[in-house]
Amino acid sequence: MRKGVPSTGPKKTFYETIEPYIFLLPALAVFIVFLYYPFARTIYLSTWVTDALGQPKKFVGLDNYTVRLFGKPEFWTMIGATFKFVLVVAFGGLIVGLITSLLTYNRYFGSGFAAAIYAMPLAIASAAASMAFRMIYHPTGGLINNLLGTQINWLGGAYQFGSIAAVTIWLQSGINFIFISAGLKGVNADMYESAAIDGANYWQRLFHITLPAISPTLFFQIIINIINAFQSFSQVKLLTNESPSSSTNLIVYAIWHDAFRAQRFETAAARSVVLFIIILIITLIQFSAEKRTVSYQ
Amino acid sequence: MTTSQPVQFTKTKSQKIRQLKNTGNFLLNIPILLIILVPLIYTLSISLVNNDEVYRTLLFPHSIQFGNYINAFTNPSYSFLKYIRNSFIVSLSVMLCQMITCSMAAFAFVFLDFKASKVLFLMVLATMMVPGEATIIANYLTVARWGWTNSLHVLIVPYMTSAMGIFLMRQNFMTFPKELKEASSLDGCSNWRFLLTIAVPLARPALGALGAYVFLNTWNQYMWPLLTTDSDAFRTVQVGISMLYDIDAQSMGLMMAGVIIVIVPSLSIFIFMNKQLINGLMAGAVKG
Repeated sequence: MRKGVPSTGPKKTFYETIEPYIFLLPALAVFIVFLYYPFARTIYLSTWVTDALGQPKKFVGLDNYTVRLFGKPEFWTMIGATFKFVLVVAFGGLIVGLITSLLTYNRYFGSGFAAAIYAMPLAIASAAASMAFRMIYHPTGGLINNLLGTQINWLGGAYQFGSIAAVTIWLQSGINFIFISAGLKGVNADMYESAAIDGANYWQRLFHITLPAISPTLFFQIIINIINAFQSFSQVKLLTNESPSSSTNLIVYAIWHDAFRAQRFETAAARSVVLFIIILIITLIQFSAEKRTVSYQ
Repeated sequence: MTTSQPVQFTKTKSQKIRQLKNTGNFLLNIPILLIILVPLIYTLSISLVNNDEVYRTLLFPHSIQFGNYINAFTNPSYSFLKYIRNSFIVSLSVMLCQMITCSMAAFAFVFLDFKASKVLFLMVLATMMVPGEATIIANYLTVARWGWTNSLHVLIVPYMTSAMGIFLMRQNFMTFPKELKEASSLDGCSNWRFLLTIAVPLARPALGALGAYVFLNTWNQYMWPLLTTDSDAFRTVQVGISMLYDIDAQSMGLMMAGVIIVIVPSLSIFIFMNKQLINGLMAGAVKG
């Protein structure tokens, strides 16, 4: 980090000493009140039994974790469903992003238009998209059933998981396209030329040059997809009409349900800590991998 | 004459091949283009047809009517204009606050020399590790205790700064030549004046990226407004449209008109501020 001007005078005035903190005050105040404090408060509440208003009533140590979460099979079903959802969405998004980036890599008539459309879902809110897909999945007269001539309840039973995952992949496809495209543009063109001289065809070049060359981008993107997918909420709430099945009861929805439907703020807090730890582990994996592959100046 | 003709012929032939290849390249895009576009076209179509045609519409409407839009804006049981007004106030406020607080903080980290600089910067970076959903319950309890629920400031104040914004502005300030600050200090320019009259104008592209990204994110927010507001007076657009289903599950046309209405500002930013938005997004995703 580059440091500022050395003070011209021999000694800083009182104001000069505190000035940096004045510049930082608004940001730090918000962080302390709405990030550090609630973070500590969440951990604290997760060791108490709370009343319906979220006030701690009785200290129970780790009981909220061991008895009320880990001791219940529902918790592990929820964790399993969340991981399955996250993996499907993370790899689904990555594959769509990779295909769309490869399709628009070369410039040709219409490639700019296609690129703009591929990026577009990143601007669309998950709540708005969920409402639109509610109509698309409508069991009697929605788009998909009308096209197929069927009357399938896409938002119930065995189809629910796939339908919600598909909406989430649709929403994530834009950001995947943007980042993977940026990664592809960074691949050294000389490598292609020598490969073309060697007579390598498109698929050989793709699998032996392009994909290895952008593997750091793909890894980074899959981490982003995983973290984003863990945070899915509006799709679950709106597309299941607040009654997800065991396959779509995802962690953030479960936190919300604990707190605002069951008034169990203590288990909501404990689940929040579990979510934090999972995201922390994934972030640490990303950091350590980046340290090995990316060199900082 | 005889020599030039074959040349002419091969030229047009290669042009034709290139054109054919161009078309072929574009055709490969069609399946995914349809997957991305059809949901939006269909939503628009449903919002434009009569209620009795909703379930019979395939992709394009048979006849067009704007009743759903008129209804959304004029029917007193749907406070759409209020939702839009609330969302604009909240998104613009959050955007402006972040531009100010992030510029100030980044300025201190880059141009000022103080003891706790390193520690405080780590404190800012560390906030990126905590997903918002993990603190949302405790935050809700805090603002509920303060009696802040059902207000607009409850939607603004917690988002007045972001580590991503500080990081973005810091990266930008670090590209300034060192002499700039030194020279202006020698001229007796105070830090505040330097920030306001030199740094901020020079950092306009970064501020644009931050602004576009933050406005869009706030406009698209769902969970926090859902928890903290439950009256029409303070509801934002995303919660507003999702509530339409509870008011009248039968009027799908109206719901789809609502979706189109709230998507238009998002798409406008995407179209008209595309570069800024994507720069902001790139900076934002670094945090993961």
